[in-house]
Amino acid sequence: MLNETQIDELRTAVGPDRIITGRSQLQTYECDGLTNFRVLPEAVVLPRNAEEVQAVVRFCAKHRVPFVSRGAGTGLSGGALPAAGGIVISLARMNRILAVDIPNRLVVVEPGVINAQVTQRVSPYGYFYAPDPSSQSVCTIGGNVAENSGGAHCLKYGFTVTHVLALDVVLPSGEMVQLGSPTLDAPGYDLAGVFVGSEGTLGVATKVTLRIVKRPEAVQTLLAAFHSIEAAGQTVSDIIGAGMLPSALEIMDALSIKAAEAAVHAHYPECNGLLLVELDGPSREVDALMIDVQELCKVNGAWEIRVAQSEQERALVWKGRKAAFAAMGRISPNYIVQDGVIPRTALPKLLSEISEMAGIAGLRVANVFHAGDGNLHPLVLYDRAIPGEEEKALDLSYRILQLCVENGGSITGEHGVGKEKQEALGRMFSEPDLATMQLVRCAFDPESLSNPDKIFPRPRLCAEKPGPYVPHPLETAGIAELF
Amino acid sequence: MHSPFPLAKEEIAEHLSAVAGPDFVHFDGVRVTVDPGNAEDVAAILRFANANGLTVTPMGGGTKSAWGNSVAADIVLSLVRLNRLREHAWQDLTCAVEAGCTWSDLQLALTSHRQMVAIDPAWPDRATIGGIVATNDSGALRLKYGSLRDLIIGMTIVLADGTIAKSGGKVVKNVAGYDLHKLMIGGFGTLGVITEVNFRLHPTEERRRSWTVRAIDPMMFHEGLAALLDSQSVPSSIQIRTNGQRFALDACVAALPETIRDFGDQLQQVFRNLEIADSSEEVWLEREELFNRSENLILKISVLSSQICSSISQVMKSAAEAEMEIAIVAQATGLIMIRLSSSPESGISFVDHLREQVEGAGGSVVALQVPEMLRERLDMWGALPCSIGLMREIKHRFDPKLILNPGRFVGSI
Repeated sequence: MLNETQIDELRTAVGPDRIITGRSQLQTYECDGLTNFRVLPEAVVLPRNAEEVQAVVRFCAKHRVPFVSRGAGTGLSGGALPAAGGIVISLARMNRILAVDIPNRLVVVEPGVINAQVTQRVSPYGYFYAPDPSSQSVCTIGGNVAENSGGAHCLKYGFTVTHVLALDVVLPSGEMVQLGSPTLDAPGYDLAGVFVGSEGTLGVATKVTLRIVKRPEAVQTLLAAFHSIEAAGQTVSDIIGAGMLPSALEIMDALSIKAAEAAVHAHYPECNGLLLVELDGPSREVDALMIDVQELCKVNGAWEIRVAQSEQERALVWKGRKAAFAAMGRISPNYIVQDGVIPRTALPKLLSEISEMAGIAGLRVANVFHAGDGNLHPLVLYDRAIPGEEEKALDLSYRILQLCVENGGSITGEHGVGKEKQEALGRMFSEPDLATMQLVRCAFDPESLSNPDKIFPRPRLCAEKPGPYVPHPLETAGIAELF
Repeated sequence: MHSPFPLAKEEIAEHLSAVAGPDFVHFDGVRVTVDPGNAEDVAAILRFANANGLTVTPMGGGTKSAWGNSVAADIVLSLVRLNRLREHAWQDLTCAVEAGCTWSDLQLALTSHRQMVAIDPAWPDRATIGGIVATNDSGALRLKYGSLRDLIIGMTIVLADGTIAKSGGKVVKNVAGYDLHKLMIGGFGTLGVITEVNFRLHPTEERRRSWTVRAIDPMMFHEGLAALLDSQSVPSSIQIRTNGQRFALDACVAALPETIRDFGDQLQQVFRNLEIADSSEEVWLEREELFNRSENLILKISVLSSQICSSISQVMKSAAEAEMEIAIVAQATGLIMIRLSSSPESGISFVDHLREQVEGAGGSVVALQVPEMLRERLDMWGALPCSIGLMREIKHRFDPKLILNPGRFVGSI
């Protein structure tokens, strides 16, 4: 609990109009996109520049107050969930694009800049910022850096980490450092590489140098309707097997199509497996490869194939796909979004197992996924009003993740571990793996102040040694339990 | 705690024989080399070394053992027996390979499904996966496909205390846990020993064509190169090279025949006043050729890509003034390799002067190969990064007794 003097100290750090302490206003910050975890922070500060962030973090280091940095709060794993007794550093006011360097294909931004604004800013020069999470019209670059966000087009273009060259970071001690460099191979460890995707646990980024990409000469988007999701999945394998690298390969099942249609009328064909293929590159190459893709769709039994004929049609196709999560609200009172990844070849087997598990649990599961990279987004639909159904849904969604791990995959492809999947991380990595990751955490943040108690499965302190499992001192003392 | 009485080399060899087997331990009177056969043996060797305060240098093909500061370790831990391709999930476009496998052996195996790991490091026949990763080597393909950081999806490492840890996984898209492997790429074996690496793969470039544009001054490439990089073409590689007299710009594209023709037309257009001809694949080996003279100084300079031509121009001028022989291979990504033959004094002042200019503009100058007589006097790494304190802290956490390649890296880490 912060006392009045401490609040005053924070107020001095950021200015009187950029600190929130009133309960009703604090409630805006009590969760992110994962709404079933809520913690009311002690205070929220809204710094305007790196020096103010540094002053706030120094305050936290001095008083050992935990802090959580936050962008737009669109994360789906509870990464921006406040720490009990801690403060939230909202980067929303640090939203300036600081530099655009077209000859070197670089853009320098503050962390509160919205993802889509980067593309808007550079599109007059024929460039775009490639990572495109579904929330790109509202989510911030700072949040993308924390989560190493992907999106539908990362199959070809890579993730946020592929596009981050350098970062200014306020370390949990309050020290300001630059990680990485706009020039390649800066001497030293790739700290920028390890910072991206660390979910806000290693410090606060205050400036980010991004790489932008030339917009391809041609983009073509195809929709193909199949009688089964397996046939759509086989087509994906055949496209990859033919040596093509589409910019996106997405699959939606009948339930997701129904939801997307209800929400945005994307005019999708009604089918059991809808495949969306996007090719981009030099015009002649795209034209030639699109013919090959259509052939492969036909060979696998596609009964309707459409190629978007205009930019508007293409935008509509994507609108439906990107709206799929939110659209679930149209067909189910509640739902859980999962984010497991599997090797692409395990897709048919896994989908039938998920369907069987859903049948046994008496729940519906809608499937929307980035088929090219095996990133599943099973949406477990349920009704909270029915006693016991939420527990059943949670159990099913965790068992789906377990299935992903058993099939050589990952518990998260782009949403992050956050609060939601802390325990699941322990199913994916062994104790020595986690202890080694913790060495990095402790080098950056020995006091565990920056977004504490996230990602890792149990309370850990920096004095712990890697090796076989030993009970944590807090456990032994009866202060914490290992679940 | 290690023994207050240091072990004799013979004793070290004996202990290691018990772990790896006597056939796999060699003692030449100066250093002990051990060739473990699996990650568990690597762990046992490191545990032994750590307990006894013995320093260790991990080694693959040894092609880049001169890179970084000199280390005379007690034990050379050779990875050559860990040389298997563990998995090639060709339909998933991924593979898992042990660190001692040579680059050529890996690529050859992947070719059976017309796939590759999309970088072109130096000395592929001898260089191993582990060494390439530890030194973050890359070639001209980096323009199109990125570097190892973009291609490695998982890794197994053994820490100084013998802990075997994995990070990442076998799927391309994965944000679970910290990406420890990012720290190992370019970490020069100072944080752990890499035993296995998982890569994402790309289809091989089956239809490639290269051209060479010639000029008498590097600045004559400047506008054309900027136009190419700002265009919608997707070349695989572009490099500028010189042996000190004339300058060549090589460009390669891999695509369908129509697109290849279009790219050729574009080259004619952007370099319309220059001589352009088809060239062979050989030109892409020029970077490696620079290293053929071990008595020369080799520098790796990193600048923004818009500064390549002017940097080459500047370097040429300085070399001429100092009467040095010079050869350069610069990639369009902004990485410039230069080879210099010079007297020790002029070599040092040349590097100092270059660092002043390049580091001042946000770039870096690292000495990769240094003639023996300069080794003690030339700082290999240049200015310390502002995050050096954090880097030292990471080293301290991973390797508290400083047994892994001590002193080899930036800031004597």
